[in-house]
Amino acid sequence: MSLRVLNPNAEVLNKSAALHMNINAAKGLQDVLKTNLGPKGTIKMLVGGAGDIKLTKDGNTLLKEMQIQNPTAIMIARTAVAQDDTSGDGTTSTVLFIGELMKQSERYIDEGMHPRVLVDGFEIAKRATLQFLEKFKTPVVMGDEPDKEILKMVARTTLRTKLYEAMADQLTDIVVNAVLCIRKPEEGIDLFMVEIMHMRHKFDVDTRLVEGLVLDHGSRHPDMKRRAENCYILTSNVSLEYDKSEINAGFFYSSAEQREAMVAAERRQVDERVKKIIELKNKVCSGNDNNFVVINQKGIDPPSLDLLARAGIIALRRAKRRNMERLVLACGGEAVNSVDDLTPDCLGWAGLVYEHILGEEKYTFVENVKNPHSCTILIKGPNDHTIAQIKDAVRDGLRSVKNTMEDESVVLGAGAFEVAARQYLVNEVKKTVQGRAQLGVEAFADALLVVPKTLAENSGLDTQDVIIALTGEHDRGNVVGLNQHTGEPIDPHMEGIFDNYSVKRQIINSGFVKLIALNLGPPLVYILGSFGSTKS
Amino acid sequence: MREIVTIQVGGFANFIGSHFWNFQDELLGLAGDPNGDPIFKNQHLDMDVLYRTGETLQGIATYTPRLVSVNFQGSLGSMSSHGTLYDHNPPVPSHVVTWPGNVSTHLSEPHKKNLFLQSLYEEEQENLAPMDGINSGKNDCESEIQDKDIVESLENGVQFWTDFSKVHYHPQSLYELNGLWMDAQDFNNYGIGMDVFSEGLRGEEMNERLRFFVEECDHIQGIQFVVDDSGGFSSVAADFLENIADEYTNTPILLYTVRGPESYMNRRSRRQTMASDLHDAISFSRLSSFCKLIVPIGLPLLGRSKVSSYLCLEDEKPYHCSAVYAAALHSISLPFRMETLGPAMDSCYVSGAVDVYGLIQMLAGQARQNIVATLDAVMPAPSLTGKQVEQSLLGSLHPFTPEIAEDVEDLQEVESLTIHGAFGSGGYRASVSEVEDTVHAAYENATTKPLFSHLSVAHCPLPIPLPFPSIFGNLVGQHGELLGSPVMGGRPSRGSLDVHSIPMAARLRSTTAILPFLENRLGNLQRFGIARGASGTELLRSWGFAKDELEDTAERLSKMIMTLDPHSQSSSDSD
Repeated sequence: MSLRVLNPNAEVLNKSAALHMNINAAKGLQDVLKTNLGPKGTIKMLVGGAGDIKLTKDGNTLLKEMQIQNPTAIMIARTAVAQDDTSGDGTTSTVLFIGELMKQSERYIDEGMHPRVLVDGFEIAKRATLQFLEKFKTPVVMGDEPDKEILKMVARTTLRTKLYEAMADQLTDIVVNAVLCIRKPEEGIDLFMVEIMHMRHKFDVDTRLVEGLVLDHGSRHPDMKRRAENCYILTSNVSLEYDKSEINAGFFYSSAEQREAMVAAERRQVDERVKKIIELKNKVCSGNDNNFVVINQKGIDPPSLDLLARAGIIALRRAKRRNMERLVLACGGEAVNSVDDLTPDCLGWAGLVYEHILGEEKYTFVENVKNPHSCTILIKGPNDHTIAQIKDAVRDGLRSVKNTMEDESVVLGAGAFEVAARQYLVNEVKKTVQGRAQLGVEAFADALLVVPKTLAENSGLDTQDVIIALTGEHDRGNVVGLNQHTGEPIDPHMEGIFDNYSVKRQIINSGFVKLIALNLGPPLVYILGSFGSTKS
Repeated sequence: MREIVTIQVGGFANFIGSHFWNFQDELLGLAGDPNGDPIFKNQHLDMDVLYRTGETLQGIATYTPRLVSVNFQGSLGSMSSHGTLYDHNPPVPSHVVTWPGNVSTHLSEPHKKNLFLQSLYEEEQENLAPMDGINSGKNDCESEIQDKDIVESLENGVQFWTDFSKVHYHPQSLYELNGLWMDAQDFNNYGIGMDVFSEGLRGEEMNERLRFFVEECDHIQGIQFVVDDSGGFSSVAADFLENIADEYTNTPILLYTVRGPESYMNRRSRRQTMASDLHDAISFSRLSSFCKLIVPIGLPLLGRSKVSSYLCLEDEKPYHCSAVYAAALHSISLPFRMETLGPAMDSCYVSGAVDVYGLIQMLAGQARQNIVATLDAVMPAPSLTGKQVEQSLLGSLHPFTPEIAEDVEDLQEVESLTIHGAFGSGGYRASVSEVEDTVHAAYENATTKPLFSHLSVAHCPLPIPLPFPSIFGNLVGQHGELLGSPVMGGRPSRGSLDVHSIPMAARLRSTTAILPFLENRLGNLQRFGIARGASGTELLRSWGFAKDELEDTAERLSKMIMTLDPHSQSSSDSD
């Protein structure tokens, strides 16, 4: 998909032409993303030139799939994608809001208003809206035991915009439990400690949360057990392969015997390391039925695997770097970089370790762990594009839970905030402003309505009816959102529709900053120039 | 067995890779073909070094390159990024299982398969269907006619590297940089690629692809890394290499930096030239710091260089130029996979096996720790005609590395030479020992000879697969022998239909001839980047390089020069 093509070498356009071109670009982008929004939006199936399929209802993913050439559109897209990077959501809303703000501006500028004055109004409105958001948000107390219900509501609100209801609800529990699992008091939430694995499987409903870890590889020795209970887990980053480069001496040997001797000496060093692991195994496993699993970040060559297999040890090599951290969080123990001072304290524990084979793909499940602080969401789907779409949704869900816990507040959804903020701007803020800048405040206020309007449009409702009903309720002092089935106002609180505070905040902030640069109507060339040199 | 994992990053690197894997595929095919040339029957090359065995979900065995290829989104043409073997590409479904609401389908214009890819597809379908004796005979006749059309269509219409690829790739192999579109912007300098690796999950995903192949290796001997260093892919590769060096500490990396002639053509204005010069300096310095041996490849005027004495190359066609470089890379890679019977015994088919680590130690690990090697090759290699070998074979090796000095005398030169499929004086295929003896004799008589020379010989020539471009001149015979007079009646350029195999020779050299290459980079960096009031400081800052970083870079370059030429310091200081 490509939007309007603009020759970047175009001559300097005069101010008004440049402005209209900017506005058109914003509108074009808005049109493409508009249908994404909300639980009634349209999912997009993109089929590439070679038949690769991509499914998405996510603005961020969609923007990356579009080959955008218009510089203004690129700029808006970058703003929106940056939005996603910082808060994990809100790409579509950002694009819609910027587009709408540009449309509103067009109207006023056509009527002869100077962009500068308009922008002053925007600036005032933005500050007021941010202040209003502080008052409007619903605080959530995140003590030792976070309110799981509110976390679920936020996650559900996000997931239901990406997946069908039953699946969204199933994933809601999964993502909330996953984030609660990795949460550590007094520390930020590192979502990387939730591993996301996928498997091809007939049914997507088999997606589940594994308390423990799923690795995408298995042992590489035929004699190692495929299933073991009560396992000690050794997490290590130690080379267990014969490595020529450890010899410092030169490469050329004067005789074959000398070469053999060097090789043998080197081999002995590796064997020593393996033996130390076996010693530890014998120490902790003697006199009981417990098992021993080594998960190593570096390589393990066949002779070492042989030794380990003979000692009854299960060994995995080349584990992901991140899994070193995850394993320790899931199973306990510590990751060791050397086998020199191995003690039983280094070891973690898992009740069950087993291998699952799917064609040439192997998975190792490390489950039944005690008190895990890392976990795996195992996504199953019938084909790659479905898996990819579920994966995107899971990431968004995880982010929304994390945001809620970090924000310690949420914002009423279903368009309630936007309508409330708009009424606040029009009824209260506008009269405090002097002169024409009032119109800027009004334009900003009306632009906020793009969210409920689009939600209504995507549900096949009459947007004007909806807006009148909603603003009417708000003027009567009732904070309401839109029921997407009936078009009637609803109380989002009752329905459990909540959005992230940080996402909303970010949308208001980011959308506006870039717009100033665009709307002041600089010659287009200026925008192009500022592109290459400002890399932030 | 000692596995190699190959990584290809960027446009031209993937063009070279495509030819490289076509050669391997051809070798595999010819070894298994009952009617094939017997010379390909006993190659004594262990293909498992480069290939992996696998199995689809349906239980069908697969044999695919151990490869990670990185490129723009949309650069795969009509090939699916999942490859073709594992059936990851279901037909476009009519509904979406995860979404009950509206679905809008956006179909891109499907890339049409060219004649070559169509014929591959048909062939495969036929192989799947039970063979009918009479029919297959008839088809042979038809395909004979088609081959000409195929060659012709490739000559005129290669756009993507996949257009001439006959290899099946593993679904993990082909990685498109999501959101980075081909031709979307000028992706032509180091700065523009700076954040590409770290943005989103790209870096993570690339590392995962590589780990998939490395985990399978029982004992990896090294990583063969080819990068198109003419633009933004340099920095993508540098970031990738940094991760690899960190993760696989003891795995040697052999790095080829490649570029096509067309990358030299956009240096029109002074500003463009300066940007390119700075890019070259930064790119080389960064890339060389993450590998054990770096080989710069890519002549600005390949078609008019001495390399092309017997070739008709069109510089503006990456399809042509990449074929030549791929042939040389193939030759260099032969010693890594020669089957050895024992340390002292050499078979009569191959000799001089050495692994990646050994080669790097030989060239870069000796007294002079010079990690930059030059590549010389001759295509096709002339026959070993007795005493004149020195002129005919050794003299015909010409550099593929740009900006190097000719006829330098370097007493500490180290080289590794590979010759395969060479002809003896009587027009018959020379035996391995014959090649060895002749080359040794040639060096005995030579006026200048390297301090150390390693020779690898293979009996088996380079096979020319059908999708190879028509780049041979009319003095090249069917088996790559050089003819006394032009072939009559033919077209001026000959391709895979006329030439079935060629002898090749290629060598890597650690030599002071590389000094101009290094000095140019250092000089440009100092002149445009570091000197007071330099015109390129602004540009470099926009790429994210501060002054102290540039000084470190310059120091690294001058150290590289110092290892080769200890007397150079005074001259570089006065610059």
